[in-house]
Amino acid sequence: MLNSEKIAVRNGPAQTVYRGGRGEPLFWLHGLQRPQADDPVLNALAEHFEVFAPVAPGYDDLTEIDEIRDVHDLALQYDGLMQALGLNGVTVGGHSLGAMVAAELAAHVTARAKRLVLASPLGLWNDAYPVADLIARPVPEIDELLWAGAGHRPDIRAEEEAADPAVRVERLVTLASQLTTFAKFTWPIPDRGLRRRLPRITAPTLVMFGADDAFVPARYAEDFVALLEHGRKRVRPGGHMLPYEHPAGFAAEVAEFARVPTYA
Amino acid sequence: MKFHWFHLMPYPELPDDFVEKHRSVWVDYPNSEFDPAVGNRAYNEYLGQLEFAGEVGFDGICVNEHHSNAYGLMPSPNLMASILARTTTKPKIVVMGNSVALYNPAIRVAEEMAMIDVLSNGRLVAGFPVGTPMDTAFCMGQNPATLREKYREGVDLVLKAWTSREPFAFNGQYNQLRYVNIWPRPVQQPHPPVWIPGGGSIETWDWCVENDFLYAFLSYFGYKRAKATMESFWEVVDKRGAEMNPYRAGFLQFVAIAENEAEAERIYGPAACYFYNRALRVYPGFASPPGYSTIATLRKGIGSQVVDTTKLPDLTWKDIVNQGFVVTGTPDSVAQQLNEMADVMRVGHLMMLFHFGNLPDAAVRYNTERFAKEVAPKLRHRFSDWEDRWWPKDPVAAPAPVLVPA
Repeated sequence: MLNSEKIAVRNGPAQTVYRGGRGEPLFWLHGLQRPQADDPVLNALAEHFEVFAPVAPGYDDLTEIDEIRDVHDLALQYDGLMQALGLNGVTVGGHSLGAMVAAELAAHVTARAKRLVLASPLGLWNDAYPVADLIARPVPEIDELLWAGAGHRPDIRAEEEAADPAVRVERLVTLASQLTTFAKFTWPIPDRGLRRRLPRITAPTLVMFGADDAFVPARYAEDFVALLEHGRKRVRPGGHMLPYEHPAGFAAEVAEFARVPTYA
Repeated sequence: MKFHWFHLMPYPELPDDFVEKHRSVWVDYPNSEFDPAVGNRAYNEYLGQLEFAGEVGFDGICVNEHHSNAYGLMPSPNLMASILARTTTKPKIVVMGNSVALYNPAIRVAEEMAMIDVLSNGRLVAGFPVGTPMDTAFCMGQNPATLREKYREGVDLVLKAWTSREPFAFNGQYNQLRYVNIWPRPVQQPHPPVWIPGGGSIETWDWCVENDFLYAFLSYFGYKRAKATMESFWEVVDKRGAEMNPYRAGFLQFVAIAENEAEAERIYGPAACYFYNRALRVYPGFASPPGYSTIATLRKGIGSQVVDTTKLPDLTWKDIVNQGFVVTGTPDSVAQQLNEMADVMRVGHLMMLFHFGNLPDAAVRYNTERFAKEVAPKLRHRFSDWEDRWWPKDPVAAPAPVLVPA
């Protein structure tokens, strides 16, 4: 189980950060769903690293992103958070939108990341294999887009109708806050110019995709690697939720990548 | 009480198997299904109906804006309004309205509406909807997370452009302009009446009252279902200490006049079913993108009109009538129902739909004319002790002659 604390950020909203594990630090940005203390992927990563996993601004309170207007503001917000945590030159990674933001962070302030892990990253667009439209999916159908196989499915849906209307409404508000934050940085096309900035990244980068990712096709792995100076791709059986489909295996792969001193 | 004739301008030839073959009338119904010859006939017939409504005495004629759909063929209501500014002289032209967040810079809206106001000699009512989720987020690529902020800024810019007599700079989040100085400027001073068509969003009510905008509740589900929403609106008006003037509110209502029930079903039944079952078919995924409804509105538990339309079962004419979606009956009966509606809803401006889906022209005119002659006179006295501050004043100068080529 991870602990959480609220970290003040200079010139930006304070962020809740989940921490746990021992070892080299890993700064990890979550994907669609807000992490909790028992998040299986973060706990698996904590078997190998000292994990620092912030909750994205906007996820708990939409007003936090009123003045985080674009990916540049967002990258600088995370730079400020790493500063506050005393993290510099560490392994940085993320999943889905979190991977896109991790790449922006590593491109904006290159010294923050000595290794970069991008799991099922958004951020590029190719007309030949467009990213699917998650926003136009009725919520109950989002799962079909995200999961290829079985695995631990954290709940991103409003559960069965709760008896208490106040509980129902708060669940709806939570879901709306998370998806609105997601939409703010990805709608209508999840291309905010990362293509132009990926070549700035100096850290060796691992790009991981589920071969059957129905949301962001695995072919984007090649596009990322082509733009990265030190990029390497790994495509594994699985879907967009690859890390959650195989938490232990995924974490071991991240750890192995972080240990390799340089590319051969 | 005032009566306005509202045209949605639907595409009238959605095929019988539309529902089986297509998930939505909006956003992704391919335009290979649009027949330009049908469109040509529809546009001209529809403009003729709006002109006819003006001739028989409706106070206003209304057009609106929607994109990439067969539900309403008016991506630009301003084009229609500018035609009507030339072909009519009496009715006010209610543009319901321009989705200001879709225009960049929004100054375009100030310019075009000023043109219509000048052309029509001060007959414009300026509506500013946020726009449906389908139009704004899905068809026009707007970010639902910032749509309302951009919309509010756009309305601020338009009003400032209309009321400033010297060039000014505008440093907005979404509109940055070094020189704002619109030509022409509107006839109406300080500016045309502003109407805000909306669903039930709590911030919209506060904003309307604060700025003295008219709030128009647009619903296809009849006044009995809309009662709670309007009561909430009037609570906000009252709580903010504003005048409980019925003319600060509008409502949309389908009306079907006939001699008896059998005639009503014969004339209007198929077209009403066409409207509710085909022209209003929206894929649920397009109905509520995240961010479109504010957190405050979600917390208030206010549902969405668009989401409601996605839940409609296949309806018969009897369903439509029994659920109160359409006010139907003899002229006396319709007058009585609308009188009751006026009591319940307290709305001084009634926007009315006499054209249903694919209703033939003759039936539209029959419905329109009977209302104007046999119903409207019975209701005009309603709310006459209130001043309507949300309506164009009669122009001081005579309107320019209408020149229609022979």
